[in-house]
Amino acid sequence: MTDTAAEPPHASDPTYTGESGPIFSLGFRTAVLTLITFGIYRFWAKTRIRRYIWSSAALDGTRFEYTGTGLEKLLGFLVAVVFLAVYLGLVQIVLTFAGLSLAGEPNTPGEAMAQGAAFSLTFLALLPFILFAQYRARRYKLARTRWRGIRFGMDKAAWGYAWRAIGYYALALLTLGLLMPLATYRLTKYMTDRSWFGDAKFELGGRWTGLYRAMRHVLIPVFGLIAGSLMAGFLDQDWLIAVLPPVFVIWLIVGVVNYNVQSFAYTTSHTTLENGVSVDSRPQTGTVIFKYMIGSIAISLLLGILVMVFGGIFAVLFSGLFQMLEADGPASWQAMVAPAFVGVLGYLAVILAAGALSLALVVQPILAHYIATLRVENVAAIETIRQRAADEGADAEGFADALDVGGAI
Amino acid sequence: MRAPARFHDGERAKVHDVEVALGPDRLTLVIEGTTLPAPLRWPLSDLRALRGQSDARRIVVTRAEDTGDESLQSPARLEIEDTAFRDWLLATRPNLFARDTRPGTRRKVALWLGGAAAAVAVMLFVILPLLAGTLARMLPLEREIAFGKTVTAQMERLLGAREIGALDCTEPAGRAALDAMTGRLMARQDIAYDLNVRVFDHEMINAFAAPGGQVVLIRGLIEEAETPEALAAVLAHEIGHVVHRDPTRAALRTAGSVGLLGLVFGDFAGGAAMLAVAQRLIDASYSRTAETEADAFAHRMLAEADISPAAIGEMFARFREIGGETPGALAHFASHPQLDARIDAAQAAIPEGFEPRPLLNDAQWQALQGICGADDQ
Repeated sequence: MTDTAAEPPHASDPTYTGESGPIFSLGFRTAVLTLITFGIYRFWAKTRIRRYIWSSAALDGTRFEYTGTGLEKLLGFLVAVVFLAVYLGLVQIVLTFAGLSLAGEPNTPGEAMAQGAAFSLTFLALLPFILFAQYRARRYKLARTRWRGIRFGMDKAAWGYAWRAIGYYALALLTLGLLMPLATYRLTKYMTDRSWFGDAKFELGGRWTGLYRAMRHVLIPVFGLIAGSLMAGFLDQDWLIAVLPPVFVIWLIVGVVNYNVQSFAYTTSHTTLENGVSVDSRPQTGTVIFKYMIGSIAISLLLGILVMVFGGIFAVLFSGLFQMLEADGPASWQAMVAPAFVGVLGYLAVILAAGALSLALVVQPILAHYIATLRVENVAAIETIRQRAADEGADAEGFADALDVGGAI
Repeated sequence: MRAPARFHDGERAKVHDVEVALGPDRLTLVIEGTTLPAPLRWPLSDLRALRGQSDARRIVVTRAEDTGDESLQSPARLEIEDTAFRDWLLATRPNLFARDTRPGTRRKVALWLGGAAAAVAVMLFVILPLLAGTLARMLPLEREIAFGKTVTAQMERLLGAREIGALDCTEPAGRAALDAMTGRLMARQDIAYDLNVRVFDHEMINAFAAPGGQVVLIRGLIEEAETPEALAAVLAHEIGHVVHRDPTRAALRTAGSVGLLGLVFGDFAGGAAMLAVAQRLIDASYSRTAETEADAFAHRMLAEADISPAAIGEMFARFREIGGETPGALAHFASHPQLDARIDAAQAAIPEGFEPRPLLNDAQWQALQGICGADDQ
């Protein structure tokens, strides 16, 4: 679109202004609160982090707003727990029984496989709920997002999504990934076509075959690996077996990241709002990988320093204890308090800092890149869009919280 | 007080360039703009600002109003960047960041918290144990035995065995004495399992039962037992667990409760530790019943084999000498019921007119104590 000479009426580039310091501090403080409330604060923690991230993103001079509350997330979680506690408890006990009666101690490879299958059935039994939860979580996030005071929203259609997703993903799996673009496109379309900004509906254009460009670096290593091992078997060439797998596996990992980034770019760029507003997205796979690696290295270094500091204090206190032991014979338990305290404190500090650091140094930079490479065309047409009714949100994203679906933010 | 601002009316996705000012009555905020049909008047006491925004230079103001949505605020937004006006609002409006909640919210939260806790508790303490009991009875015997072998193999590795059977103590004379002891206990019993009693070479003072008739005595226990009767009492207690299918039930119940607890605690930092503590508490509450029942079984079994049930009390008294009883606060974490109560129960279980018959002679007892080889004696 940029190669045409005439610019569209009025395009706007969204901006992201979030900084590492504030989000690290927010992430760390809320993690401490979560720890000392035995996990209850996690709903408020996520809400506060979202509020910061949403309000750091701006389009055409207006910042986004997240209006969700920790309380409604807690209530939604309780609803989901009541249901899932019963379901999961029953499923797991029955499946364990099935696993045991199939084979206590697997004697043949067949029995071992049957037993493995019975245990992994827990995941399959939960799969519909995981997919249901993914749709619900997205609906909740959209329903709690506003821009210029106008609500986003999404239709209630989570079960329809869950069944379709099972079908499409099964198809993709059975074809060794050949039909993955179909699954990605149709499922994205299912969600996009049910999303709204105010009274204007989103729509996903394009074609599912358009995703093969993004998929090629997944398919080449997958089929390369299969063909290579067949060839190696026929030709009896040992060096093929030594060289091919590592090359293809690294290729595949990069390919999967590339597919995630570029399928997002394709589907986002083909998304339009009813009244002529359209979006263009050009994230770079290389930049995403680079930011991820730089962030991970920085986190390892910082955590390493933290471990060294606490480890040093611990060692000093502990060696003091040993000297005392040698000098005075039996040590009292009081002497253990200081080293134990430093040890526990150091352990907690590292765990909590790790979460907050990954938010500040990996999640946010990558998110910022996605936003910086976004462009909204014909933004003036938005002005005619009207408010939509509030979505009471039923159980918020309780199922996603209970099943740990939904990732970093 | 007067300042420029950007206004969104909450009805259209439009920006109104407006001017905000303190009204003449000094109780309202007046919003005026050429694109607004009429000036808006917001009572100062209703003004609210968005919390937790990333841009501190700017303040986004709205008004408290029950519109039926999650926020209890009007959808209209007023973005003020004017420093003086922002500071004036922050200084004079104590309610600016008030958290409005709908009446009845507390009741709703309490109700759902109670409901969720009740559902989880019913699952953990009623449904899962019942189901585990039923399923344990339904499990085919050969499968239970196979499962038990996996469990003992794991236990063996845990105790440091490089390969299966490496810890087995098989001194023939000791083995014969142990078989004599088992035979005596089982003589008048009719149980569904073929007992497989083994001894592991490790200094731990313990014994355990695994599904399907596997009983393991650990060397430390045999060495610490002062009489053959005391050791037989522990053996009878473990046979009680086997007969009641306690290990199988525990395995099934844990499978159900681990997933459920994982759900409740989520994956926050420290969540795994919480899960472990909770699982331990639940196990403890079950095993108290299981231990008491195994004790009762052992009392009967010992009496029927002409061994005094008081022998079990003897063993517990020895345990207390070695380890000390778990003090009050930690008692709930211990899987064995209070030793005192168990010693009393053992005393009370001696039938009237009971005549004990010796269990092993001195030579047999010495052989049994040396079942793992002479070097450790």
